[in-house]
Amino acid sequence: MKKLYYYIPFICFCFLLVFFLKQLFEEQSPSELPSVLLNKKLPLIELEKLEGYHFMSYENLIFNDKPFLINVWSSWCGPCKIEHDNLMKLSKTYKVPIFGINYKDEIENAKNFIENYGNPFSIIGVDRKGKEVINLGVYGIPETFIIDSSGFIKYRHVGPILEYDMLNVILPILKNLEE
Amino acid sequence: MYKCLLIFLVLFSSISAISKEKNDSLVAKELFEELRCLVCQNQSISESDAPLAKDLKLIIIEQLNEGKTKTEVKSFLVNKYGEFILFKPTFSLKNIFLWMSPIIFLIFGIFLTYRFYYFSSVNIQNSEKLTAFEKRKLKSILNKDVK
Amino acid sequence: MITEFGHFLLALSLSISLIQFLIPAIGVKINSINMMKTSSLSAYLSFIFVLISFLALLWAYITSDFSVSLVAKNSHSLKPLIYKISGLWGNHEGSLLLWILILTFYSATIAYLGKRLPLKLVSLVLSIQGLIAVAFISFILFTSNPFIRVFYPNIEGEGFNPILQDFGLAIHPPFLYLGYVGLSVSFSFSIAALLIGRVDTLWVKWVRPWTLIAWIFLTIGIALGSWWAYRELGWGGWWFWDPVENASFMPWLATTALLHSSIVAEKRDTLKAWTILLAIVAFSFSLLGTFIVRSGVLISVHSFAADPSRGLYILLLLFLFTGGALFLFAKKSPDLKSGSLFQPISREGALIINNIIFSSAAATVLVGTLYPLFIDALSNSKVSVGPPYFEAVFIPLMVPAILICAFSPMLSWKRAVISNLYERIIGIFILSILITSILVFLYDGSPTAFLGLFLGFWLMLGTIYEIAFKIGIGKKLEIMLSRSINLPRSAYGMSLAHLGVAVFIIGVTVSSAWREDIEKSISLGDEIFIKNYKLIFSSYDKIQGPNWVADKATFFIFKNKIKIDSLYPERRFFPASQVTTSEPAIMSNVFSDLYVVLGEKNTENNYYSIRVYYSPLLNWIWFGIILMVLGGIFSISDRKHRLGYTSFKKLVK
Repeated sequence: MKKLYYYIPFICFCFLLVFFLKQLFEEQSPSELPSVLLNKKLPLIELEKLEGYHFMSYENLIFNDKPFLINVWSSWCGPCKIEHDNLMKLSKTYKVPIFGINYKDEIENAKNFIENYGNPFSIIGVDRKGKEVINLGVYGIPETFIIDSSGFIKYRHVGPILEYDMLNVILPILKNLEE
Repeated sequence: MYKCLLIFLVLFSSISAISKEKNDSLVAKELFEELRCLVCQNQSISESDAPLAKDLKLIIIEQLNEGKTKTEVKSFLVNKYGEFILFKPTFSLKNIFLWMSPIIFLIFGIFLTYRFYYFSSVNIQNSEKLTAFEKRKLKSILNKDVK
Repeated sequence: MITEFGHFLLALSLSISLIQFLIPAIGVKINSINMMKTSSLSAYLSFIFVLISFLALLWAYITSDFSVSLVAKNSHSLKPLIYKISGLWGNHEGSLLLWILILTFYSATIAYLGKRLPLKLVSLVLSIQGLIAVAFISFILFTSNPFIRVFYPNIEGEGFNPILQDFGLAIHPPFLYLGYVGLSVSFSFSIAALLIGRVDTLWVKWVRPWTLIAWIFLTIGIALGSWWAYRELGWGGWWFWDPVENASFMPWLATTALLHSSIVAEKRDTLKAWTILLAIVAFSFSLLGTFIVRSGVLISVHSFAADPSRGLYILLLLFLFTGGALFLFAKKSPDLKSGSLFQPISREGALIINNIIFSSAAATVLVGTLYPLFIDALSNSKVSVGPPYFEAVFIPLMVPAILICAFSPMLSWKRAVISNLYERIIGIFILSILITSILVFLYDGSPTAFLGLFLGFWLMLGTIYEIAFKIGIGKKLEIMLSRSINLPRSAYGMSLAHLGVAVFIIGVTVSSAWREDIEKSISLGDEIFIKNYKLIFSSYDKIQGPNWVADKATFFIFKNKIKIDSLYPERRFFPASQVTTSEPAIMSNVFSDLYVVLGEKNTENNYYSIRVYYSPLLNWIWFGIILMVLGGIFSISDRKHRLGYTSFKKLVK
């Protein structure tokens, strides 16, 4: 019995090793945060209207009849430009409604951005100071949320939506929600 | 001996009583240092220059001014960003192993030490008893000397 | 050409290391003296080849040879020479080559100094060192080769991280590695002892100098890193409980415990299994640190570019060495026979308490560092374990250790009668409380400040009293002199090291409890008042350096209406990497630091954001560490450590 005590360090070490192995094969980077708002109702956020574009109030938004995306973007944000084409595809080709939240931007620059690169957003809200999106747990733009038809947050994507993400993550989730 | 302990305790507690009163800006500073910046994840929002850090600082100050307590502000942020944003892990059941680990290790160490003292004293006691062979040999040596 | 030569020699050293591992091991098994004797030649050759290989890579850096992929990625022709050199180890591949260089250097040194040690023991030690070398050299050659060429080299290197261009940071890795790798020696000695099946007091005597050397270097390495962080990062902080910092602190804690437990092992021929376990664990912590930095599993500012495949290889190494060692330990250490007994209340008993506390501390830091990993693996949610946790947990753990440390050198061996010491202990206690109370009252301190100060003075007074007593203060001068000269250096070493800890505690307590800071937006000509200093923002220039442009502010510092100094904080911009860094300006003296950081300029109103910190006794943190290192140096220069390594004749002289 006494001799078994001597194996304790070895056993503890083996446990440790297993954890490390698991973590090494983990796909998600340790600095990426999963959203804590998943499966919770979209929190109340108060945004301003962007002149010349459609706007919808929070109350109407959460009773939308089909699932939609919320995309937090800005004209000064590089990755936003990268994902812009895919957003256009989602909106025009796949007919996904996208609610754009313009984050900490100048009105003129925001308008120029959409006019020059195309407008994938069916409705646009403006968060001038960047305070409102904190209610969504946004920490780095661009961020995209998938909201179901009852107003619940189903998924959050941090960073630009690349083709891979669009085809293998976003669209399948949306399809799932529609059924 | 106990008098000293008493003196120590009295002094210690009286100092606590005279402690500075906390005001809002101090609480804000404390909060800033206890929260992780989500962009520059190796820094607290106090240290970070990231825009998000600045926004969070503003929101914290705003909420404190509204009269919210430190705990309320923290739980607001945890609701939005998860426990990751807290540098000090919560005292929840989930984290029980974390908070109890120093005590567990100490107790384990004390237990091992106790076993060490107990078993070595048993060993010494056992080895201190002379075997029959040794007893005879001792006798013969002693007898030789006497001659 | 030189690069290829270096590459070739590295491959050659792999073969030599393989021989160094196999032949002596077989020699021990079949009892062939000739085979065992090959170990020293292998060690020497291995070291020479790795050295030349290292120099070849160094040459590539110095000449900015961008056809070498590593140099192209990490260097730049405009870098100052010293940073070109230190750039060699500022990346994953190069730092591993440095690691191997130091490993083979230690092996060669063991071979040279160990001529009078039992052949079997030295052969096994060198054999294990050889195995470690084989593992790491193959890691380098097969996954992280620094000698890879680029076939279409660019004219210029891809630069560098400007933050790395600092003297403190440049020399901190070599010291740290000398510490980490030094622990491999204690490790190898332990494995050898387990394989032979015998641990005796002579073995402890032979291992101790290596452990001390590793400890000294590790302490210096960690301190340099902290000192750099304090001077460069702009927050007046010097320790962040970052995973990689913890990865260096854990081996330090384990090694400190090891140094103390080996005293008991040597004196009483007991606690041997525990000492061996600590040596294995200390080196394993080194390997673990290597894993954490290079695998990308934990978030850290120190991480090299994360690469899971490298992580896997290191995990394999960990499994082989740590797993193998711990398994061997489990099998063989029950056979180690215990020696003599001592009472729980005795010098040995106090050393055991030290070990319980330091080992618990190391284990706690390990749990805290890895906890986010556990939670993520088990529940896929993220938590953070940061400074608030570690401080809340580490400090209370250390309190009993400090309390005992003050008077444990006064305890007798085997059986101490505390009642004899009562008067002295109470005297020191009262004096410490008095001093602390006066200071806390005068300067308005918090309870934590009280505790910290008390512990610092308690340890300081206890240590000073003990050494004064040993020297015989109060007796005749001749007695004092002769006692001082005859006192073994290790006694001075112990007192110096403990004194260093006391000074360190006081430094930490005072600099954090009584720190004052101001954060403001100011414009030219404004005045800032902090403590009894007045700072005037007198001017603002644009200056240029070798690879940066900067805004430099000039502050005049006044005390009691007299100008005592000027400070020039800068904000540097590095065009090559588009990074902005802030260079704080610090006015240091023995009693305080005044620390000024230049922040961003508000372009609208020409206001600059400024932070000023006043940290009293901050430099006592570094003084304390210097004293600890001095203590280590005194200890290792003690005559008894040369025992067994030098001929008896030399000692008798």
